[in-house]
Amino acid sequence: MGYKTKKRILTVLATLLMVILAVFTLSPFYFMFLSSLKPGTEMLRYGLSFTFDPQISSFKNYEALNTYREGIYWDWYKSSLILMVLQTLIGLFLGSLVGYGLAMYDFKGKNIVITIVLLLMMVPFEILLLPLYQMLIKAKMINSYFGVILPYLVPPFMIFFFRQYCLSLPREMMEAAYMDGCSDFGIFFRIMVPNMIPAYGAMTILSCMNCWNNLLWPLIVLSNDRKFTIPIGMATTITPYGNAYDVLMPGAVMAVVPIVIIYLFAQKTFIAGLTSGAVKG
Amino acid sequence: MKKMLVVLLAALILMLSVTAFADDEPIKLTLWTFQELHLSLYREMLDKWNADPANPKLEIDMQVYDYEDMHNKLTIALQTGEGAPDISEIEISMYANYLKGDIQLAPLNEYVEPIADHLVMSRMNNYARDGKYYGIDHHIGATVMFYNTEILEAAGIDYKDIKTWDDFHEAGKTVLEKTGKPMTTWESTDCWSIYPIVSQHGGDWLTWDNEVVMDSPVVASTLQFMKDMLADGTAVAAPGGSHHTEEYWGWMNGGNCATVSMPFWYLNRFTNYMPDLAGKIKVAPLPTWPDGGHKSSQMGGTGVSVIATSPNAEVAKAYIAFATLSFDGCVNTWKLLGFDPILMDVYGTPEMQEPNEFFEYYGDDIFTNMMTVLDDIPDTAITDMYPAATDIVKAQMAYDLVYTDKTGEEIAKECADQLRSLID
Amino acid sequence: MQDSMSERTKRSVINHKVVPYLFIAPFIIFFVVVYLYPFFKTIIMSFQRIDGPNHITWIGISNYQKLFKDRNFAQSLMTTLRYAVWDLIILCSVPLIVAVILNSGYVKFPAFFKSVFFIPALTSTIVAGIVFRLAFGTLETSIANRVLALFGQKSQDWLMHPGTANFVLIILTLWRWMGVNVVYYISGLQSIPPELYEAAEIDGASSLQKFFYVTLPGVRPVLIYVITITVLGGFAMFTESVALFTQKYAGGIGRTIVGYMYQVGFYKSNLGMASAVGIVLLVIVFTVNFIQLILMGFFKKEN
Repeated sequence: MGYKTKKRILTVLATLLMVILAVFTLSPFYFMFLSSLKPGTEMLRYGLSFTFDPQISSFKNYEALNTYREGIYWDWYKSSLILMVLQTLIGLFLGSLVGYGLAMYDFKGKNIVITIVLLLMMVPFEILLLPLYQMLIKAKMINSYFGVILPYLVPPFMIFFFRQYCLSLPREMMEAAYMDGCSDFGIFFRIMVPNMIPAYGAMTILSCMNCWNNLLWPLIVLSNDRKFTIPIGMATTITPYGNAYDVLMPGAVMAVVPIVIIYLFAQKTFIAGLTSGAVKG
Repeated sequence: MKKMLVVLLAALILMLSVTAFADDEPIKLTLWTFQELHLSLYREMLDKWNADPANPKLEIDMQVYDYEDMHNKLTIALQTGEGAPDISEIEISMYANYLKGDIQLAPLNEYVEPIADHLVMSRMNNYARDGKYYGIDHHIGATVMFYNTEILEAAGIDYKDIKTWDDFHEAGKTVLEKTGKPMTTWESTDCWSIYPIVSQHGGDWLTWDNEVVMDSPVVASTLQFMKDMLADGTAVAAPGGSHHTEEYWGWMNGGNCATVSMPFWYLNRFTNYMPDLAGKIKVAPLPTWPDGGHKSSQMGGTGVSVIATSPNAEVAKAYIAFATLSFDGCVNTWKLLGFDPILMDVYGTPEMQEPNEFFEYYGDDIFTNMMTVLDDIPDTAITDMYPAATDIVKAQMAYDLVYTDKTGEEIAKECADQLRSLID
Repeated sequence: MQDSMSERTKRSVINHKVVPYLFIAPFIIFFVVVYLYPFFKTIIMSFQRIDGPNHITWIGISNYQKLFKDRNFAQSLMTTLRYAVWDLIILCSVPLIVAVILNSGYVKFPAFFKSVFFIPALTSTIVAGIVFRLAFGTLETSIANRVLALFGQKSQDWLMHPGTANFVLIILTLWRWMGVNVVYYISGLQSIPPELYEAAEIDGASSLQKFFYVTLPGVRPVLIYVITITVLGGFAMFTESVALFTQKYAGGIGRTIVGYMYQVGFYKSNLGMASAVGIVLLVIVFTVNFIQLILMGFFKKEN
């Protein structure tokens, strides 16, 4: 067998394997989309079905999103967007600030702080829910967006990531700027921030992803159904007595849209950021 | 940079500001439920309430949550004294959690006592402590048998001839032999199969003194009966684990099983999810036990309650009594929700016989048999251990019944021991 | 922060000592408020019986004693352990293999596949859970049972037996998180200098040898990172099991430690006991991660 034939066979095999995996990955979406076109009772009566039936399929369910409980779905959507933008912007800003500080300066207690950051990445956040909740009540922050993002203001994984990223940047840049009389924060904002764009890209995706699908904590904090996020709102359409699939399915499809758009936009910087950044340890 | 900070700060402050309450004329109440369906009743009765000039105008903010979440949030709100609604629905198996310690629900005796003779009081007792009634149910939840007459006729059986559970089992053998289909299904992840039959047989999980009787002979023998039906194939595990899954509905709708025993409110599951069976399903009382017991049993339910600390507790009480205990409210409970109302006066009245989708689906004799069982519905001992008992039935007993080789007695014993270990 | 801005012109020694702390100050405040205080509060609560804000009693280690006697807890612990082990094995290895294949140059359109694999991570687990629950349904007509029938196997009640239920959980997790780990691994693979492979080739190394002597050491840092987050994800898993088992957990199947904690804490409103569960969970996760880090030689490198 010649080298070329072998290569060709390998190409076919490898690509075929990936195609199979891709089909496995995408089939739930195909199903989701199909069911979003059918009346909700179809799902309840017949469960999963991969057949497209033009007779009963239409985009009517999508219109129903506007009318379902006076258009509450779009309130959830708005909440989710506001929270995602707030949480991501604040997280990126503070995370990079701290990460940069930990990478570029030597100071007493630095190793302790780094160790704490590492440790926190291993703490299951779930165990802190109860006291955090009691704290929010005392601070009268229940049902506020700030209460929802409070535990994610300075995410340890971002600090860790930005620190690693900054370590990979040449220190000379910083020193040269010092010589030019730039202040510490001036260096950060004018020189480091532009250089950390790939890292910001990577963290934007991770943060948006975490925030968009976060269920447990927003569920505990938010108490007004107009302020719910999409995952919580969607959970209310799932009841022990039958799910409201005509809202659930189109709602789920619509919910994928913004996050996929963000992903497609930031994808390049995302991978570049990861490649040069944190995970190199 | 400064600008960015200012903008961020402004955004934060904006987010922090919680919805402001305007000082408008109508009294504003908040109502929580986990069952969106119920809202149609509340809305209808709210319109009627506001139409009467004698009543103070009300505006009710109705919030729907997920089942678990609603109860969790209510627990937290009551424990912390922050954020509770004025009115909340509480599911029956969770109710006892809210009757512990300092009860934070408002007693409704002034509305219940005057009409006590007209109510199915075994339903009111579910939500009572020390003679105080804290919750009102929408329905009796009398357990009935839904018969698929097409399958039974194919096996040459008239469902009216099935009087006892032994008849039922025998009929099942014929059905299996003639059609190859099971007679009934038992749930493996929920309690709707086990409890109603146990209760009808005269058993219960607890006594009112919190003594565990989950392993009494009557429970063990009922479980063994169910087990025997599984063993010879006349009963099978409900597809999807319970009678509330897409898998079960699709399967049942396909005419794959002859019967199911469920509370009365299951009526609308057939009309909504099993349309192909229209005209084939008959509602009948449960078969009885030769060795005693009752004609039916009650199961499931939701207690509508008023939170005692609400500044508008009085008007909230008046409203829920109007919505759920009045003749009008109870007739609408049937019309809008398809439930069996707890006010006995409504049964047999022309208002209850007005044509609707249910009469169309089941025929017009829905209530004919139903009314004969209303006088013999046993109480359930809903003590503060009842939620724990229900948990064990759902999570352990039902599973063991369907998926293990344990005998009825062994299952009852193990579950009872587990429940006992939870009582300090 | 504003203060430091005004001091920008004097770059004194004092300033230099202070500046780094200004940078990390947000984290310190955050750490104390969001982690440290609640952490101690959890520890304290785990020794209490809490029946409402004004009904708190000290009960010593009784919560822990009860916990270790509760067979539901033991079962949840077993479920979690079983899941975490398989999760670790599958979610660290399969994406690595996929990443190596994607990066090998043999696959057409690798960027496309990379994007496709990533998409599930962007969606809500709740809806995905419904799809998987139905796909692995009890009936002979469910997708998974039809696949079994193709191989002449009998239908399974997938979600009703511990082994198969765990299998479905792992499949769901793999579906959802594979793409993320693939991206991590690919970033690691791409940082391996090509010269290393060339050198190995000159030495006559086989593909397998190249994988074990060049690729694996090359992605070690990424591997450490992936293992760390997978261990945490495995032990703290909750959403996936809720999506599949809808908090019913019949026969205790599918209930994880966090699921148990949530049930005890919110559903049964026993905050003290739930806190004790949290502490036990924390100890387990820390122990496992430290063992892992020591095995991977993480600390040696740091020194």
